Amino acid sequence: MSERQVVKLTRVTKDYGEGAGIVHALRGIDLELGSGDFAALAGPSGSGKSTLLNIIGGLDRCSSGSIEFEGQAIGSLSGGALSLLRKERIGFIFQAYNLIPVLTAYENAEYVLLLKGVLPAERKARISALFAEVGLEGLEDRFPRELSGGQQQRVAIVRAIAPAPALVLADEPTANVDSATGGALMDLMAKLNREKGVTFLFSTHDPMVMERARRRIRLKDGVIEGDTR
Amino acid sequence: MFESLKALSVVAWRSIWRNRRRTIITLSSIILGVTLVMVLVCLGEGVYVKLVNEAIRLQGGHVTVMHAGYLDAPSADLFILNTGKLRGRIAILPGVERTKGLVMGQGLVKTATGGVGSLVMGVEPDAELAASPLPGKITAGKYLSGNGGAQAVIGSAMAERLKLRVGSKFVVAVNDSRGEMVEELCRVRGIFSLGSDEMDGYLIQVPAGFARRLYGLPGDALTYLGVVLRDGDSRHEVARLISRMPEAAGAAVLPWEKVLPDVASYIRLDRTQNYVFQAILIFLVLFTIFNTILMSVLEREREFGVLLALGTTPARLRAQIFLEALYLNLAGVAGGLLLGGLLVWHYQVHGFDISSMTSAEMSISGFSMDKVLHPRLTAGILGIVGGSVFSATVLLSLYPAWNSAKIKIAEVLR
Repeated sequence: MSERQVVKLTRVTKDYGEGAGIVHALRGIDLELGSGDFAALAGPSGSGKSTLLNIIGGLDRCSSGSIEFEGQAIGSLSGGALSLLRKERIGFIFQAYNLIPVLTAYENAEYVLLLKGVLPAERKARISALFAEVGLEGLEDRFPRELSGGQQQRVAIVRAIAPAPALVLADEPTANVDSATGGALMDLMAKLNREKGVTFLFSTHDPMVMERARRRIRLKDGVIEGDTR
Repeated sequence: MFESLKALSVVAWRSIWRNRRRTIITLSSIILGVTLVMVLVCLGEGVYVKLVNEAIRLQGGHVTVMHAGYLDAPSADLFILNTGKLRGRIAILPGVERTKGLVMGQGLVKTATGGVGSLVMGVEPDAELAASPLPGKITAGKYLSGNGGAQAVIGSAMAERLKLRVGSKFVVAVNDSRGEMVEELCRVRGIFSLGSDEMDGYLIQVPAGFARRLYGLPGDALTYLGVVLRDGDSRHEVARLISRMPEAAGAAVLPWEKVLPDVASYIRLDRTQNYVFQAILIFLVLFTIFNTILMSVLEREREFGVLLALGTTPARLRAQIFLEALYLNLAGVAGGLLLGGLLVWHYQVHGFDISSMTSAEMSISGFSMDKVLHPRLTAGILGIVGGSVFSATVLLSLYPAWNSAKIKIAEVLR
């Protein structure tokens, strides 16, 4: 399925604290993600899943090693350049949805497109199509507090994929919804991966997510224990 | 670009209303603070303007021409002469309402009951009737008329002390310009009440011609040539123009602050006290806004983390917080100016009666103050109050705005 390399990590480490209290969250991670991957990152709490996602997404910096995003080394990029990279190429789905409470569902989905300067007609076309695809039609004007957890996560998915990113990073996207909703969300993301070629990397504890992923990366104590397809 | 800015302002506007109660409390604090500061400033200015207006109209006008040595050592023999031509030239200067001549000296008012020291003010009754507040404060008898008769208006406190009534006679004793003791019999034509024991017990007004005779001064001698202006703010310019006139050569041409230093000092002191009080009020208002913005930033760190994660630039995030502060600020200051303006306008028209708060006589440097205060609202006050609160708030909001984008995204999203 993989066609071209999206992310490449080479001997990436991440340490928190210093001296005797130092915590080695990641210990020499080597990982490649290709275009079209639908990968799950599993492991017990504290294994380094979220840290790895944050580093890949440019939300945090590694202590050593190198990270390439679409062939570009991002370890030394400035905050502004990382901001630009995230806006242009990376989508995020958070465990707690993290929609902007003062924006409607439509405005939340539109937010990144606005930042990117996508024209109004194009924005409307993209979001309307995606809302229809994920079953959010008619809910465009509702604020996050007026939506269920599953609906909010769908809006978050639309927000993540509407700008057509190269990679979507999802941090335990099904953790706050019931299993039926979680299954539906996974089906939705699998469909978007299949039909639109969006690359997904999930962190998860959920066996259901692991089952549906086409690639399973197991992390333990900051080290990749297994990587199966 | 426009769409993006519009979205930014929408997020900022909606964000300030997400905690409606806090926003209303903050807005109320700003509105109340600005209103209070405005009312206090305008009341103060109203009092100063009235005080100055009454004092200068009673005495030497906005600008006074006098003998160069008089202010340092006032004496009846320090006078100016040949003022007719000078008065003519001054009268046609722009902004001049009128000129008035005064002959001033110390004296003793004596009756069978006793005697009191007094300020003898020789006046031109017609000019005083047009320019001075005193003729309007006559409570018994009439104001002076003519220019030379041995008549006087005296204060109510002096009348009471010396048991004088309208029509009574008294002796006024002075040292004339040659140092000789002179006494003249004089009749009370009217009794005034300026509301200040100091003035009502000390001042007598007589016609200027009578005063000249009393002090042994030549025909047109004046102690003060007072210039009353339509707008007191032009006094320095008018003083400058007069001092350049050849007819004023050798004379001192002074603005009222130099002639009435006690009044000027009081206003300076009172204004400074007001500024301190107003600064404290403004500080409290600013603290409220700062606290609100800071709290709003601190409790939304996770949201800011999300915005930054989605690709919002730090500059855009800072602009959003800055806009939130700006909206609060604009709404609060505009509301405060509006409410303050309405209150000031109401009291400007109807007066703010403080007689129920104090029964004591209120006077400053012998000039009485009305117990019904009329605030004075000017564009300058609106600009200074609104501008200072607005600018200070804008400056204060820079800190929380700057800090909002300094968060560690991974930490706040954890």
